[in-house]
Amino acid sequence: MTKRDKTWFFLLLPAIAYFVIFFAYPIYNLFYNSLTTQSGSITSQNFAYMLRDPYLPTVLWVTLLYVIGAVGLEMLAGISLAIIAQNLASKVRGALQIIAILPLMVPPVIVGLMFLLLYDTNYGPIDFFLRSLGLPAVNWLGSTNLALFSVILADVWRYSPFVFLIIFAALQSVPSHLYEAAMLEGPSRWQMFRHVTLPMIRPALVVALLLDTIGVLKGFDLIYVLEGGGPGLATTVLSYYIYIWGFVYNNAHVAAALSILFLAIVLLIVGLTIKFTKIEEYLGLRRK
Amino acid sequence: MKASKAIVIMISIAFFIYFLFPIYWTFITSIKQSVDIFSYPPIFFPSKPTFQNYYAPSQEFGAVSLTALNSIPYMISSFAVGLITTIAGTFLIGAPAAYSIVRFAKGGKIFSRMILFMIMVPAAAFIIPFFQIVIHLHLIDTWWGLSLSYLSFTVPFATWMMMGYFYDIPVEVEEAALVDGVSRMRAFYDVAMKMVVPGLTATSILGFITCWNEFLYALILTFSPYNFSFPPVGSQTVPVFISSFVVIEKSFAWGGLAAAGLFTALPSIILGVYAQKYLARGLTLGAVKG
Repeated sequence: MTKRDKTWFFLLLPAIAYFVIFFAYPIYNLFYNSLTTQSGSITSQNFAYMLRDPYLPTVLWVTLLYVIGAVGLEMLAGISLAIIAQNLASKVRGALQIIAILPLMVPPVIVGLMFLLLYDTNYGPIDFFLRSLGLPAVNWLGSTNLALFSVILADVWRYSPFVFLIIFAALQSVPSHLYEAAMLEGPSRWQMFRHVTLPMIRPALVVALLLDTIGVLKGFDLIYVLEGGGPGLATTVLSYYIYIWGFVYNNAHVAAALSILFLAIVLLIVGLTIKFTKIEEYLGLRRK
Repeated sequence: MKASKAIVIMISIAFFIYFLFPIYWTFITSIKQSVDIFSYPPIFFPSKPTFQNYYAPSQEFGAVSLTALNSIPYMISSFAVGLITTIAGTFLIGAPAAYSIVRFAKGGKIFSRMILFMIMVPAAAFIIPFFQIVIHLHLIDTWWGLSLSYLSFTVPFATWMMMGYFYDIPVEVEEAALVDGVSRMRAFYDVAMKMVVPGLTATSILGFITCWNEFLYALILTFSPYNFSFPPVGSQTVPVFISSFVVIEKSFAWGGLAAAGLFTALPSIILGVYAQKYLARGLTLGAVKG
């Protein structure tokens, strides 16, 4: 590897071209759109409009609820399932791992279709069970209070396997001699988990939390199919709101301002994760 | 001890049902006759299954219903776009960049942060620029236009995946080749790339599945089905097809829709199960090794 070897540059060239076309230019385009009017003159109106938009606080609130609800439940379900799976016979464990992959692979639009069938108030199986238990049937998709929760439940079906697979792989990779050494101290189950398992799976937890948070934040498909953002604004998350401004109201300028806000939020989340964890090492983007 | 074992068994059965029931319900909806779909109480084990919804359209409520066969033009588009994007993203851009970053230690912090951020960019935030770019290039409603937008997520993903695989192969083999007088470029293509074939396979499969399942870019950048002509015209993908029928056929032609949904999800599912052993690694690169 001599200093004069320029191969690295040629290998990187397509990626540099890619970066300019697919990243730098779109960001420039967003700033350009958000800072101009239809006729092309410079303006700060779009941002001003966005900040005065009476719906934006609701949209951000719905987005926050969606992320907290979905990520919270997915982490809870994924981690519990991973811990339970550890205690299962290896055949059952293998089967569970394959089955857990199915929801992840089904296109989200089709997950939406599946849950439309399940949530159906007249002929769906969920309300049938509720009725046979003597409970009232629930209008899963049509009620303003429940709509977001119904989307979250579908998202949990789809995405908790993702958390499960990450945490489960991490649990499997904890060397058994650590447990054996710790056993000598006679710890309780909780102490064992807290002082041996938890530090070992911390990187996996950070990765799962970050990827799940961003994954939920990106979410659009399920909401489009199940709810179309409604009823009212009940399921209008930021992704969906950008779509509405851009392609229902056909206003690329305000949509671009919202996109910049969205990118800033993502940048903040990623930045905080970089600052407080070694996320790049955990993801294998850098080596120690 | 026995009680706790029973609890573990019950919990695992609950999880199996939880993961499988939505798929099972969609499947039995697809093989039910229309009367049985709209029956109360709902039928959990159809006694007269039929596969008509997969191939034979019927007259329902004054409209010709959908069958799984209707999805074929959309599947061709999905397949073409997935293939173009995966090949370009993994082999032409991602893998060479990953090799360059790993072997020459270029860019350091800046590159890894840029890749991380690019992986995280939501499609919704880039849909306005990509719509304008694709319109400007006159590539709207073509495989090429959609593939362009799909590169925005396949390239950072492929670079990230391939970096992990290149870090893992010993540098000595390439060095030996270099000592033998092979050029750096040859050492990359003939030596290093051959050692990361499993990584290339896993990256391609996962990239392809992501393209197959993608919805937002396809919704905006395509508007007609592939018409079997060459050069190809029309590029709507499977998720756009299914979503449009969900909106139109809501609450009447469930059977055909369920059949089409399952049929079009199959390629993803089959590839996913096939790549199962790579998948955990792909999802967790580094996180597990710490």
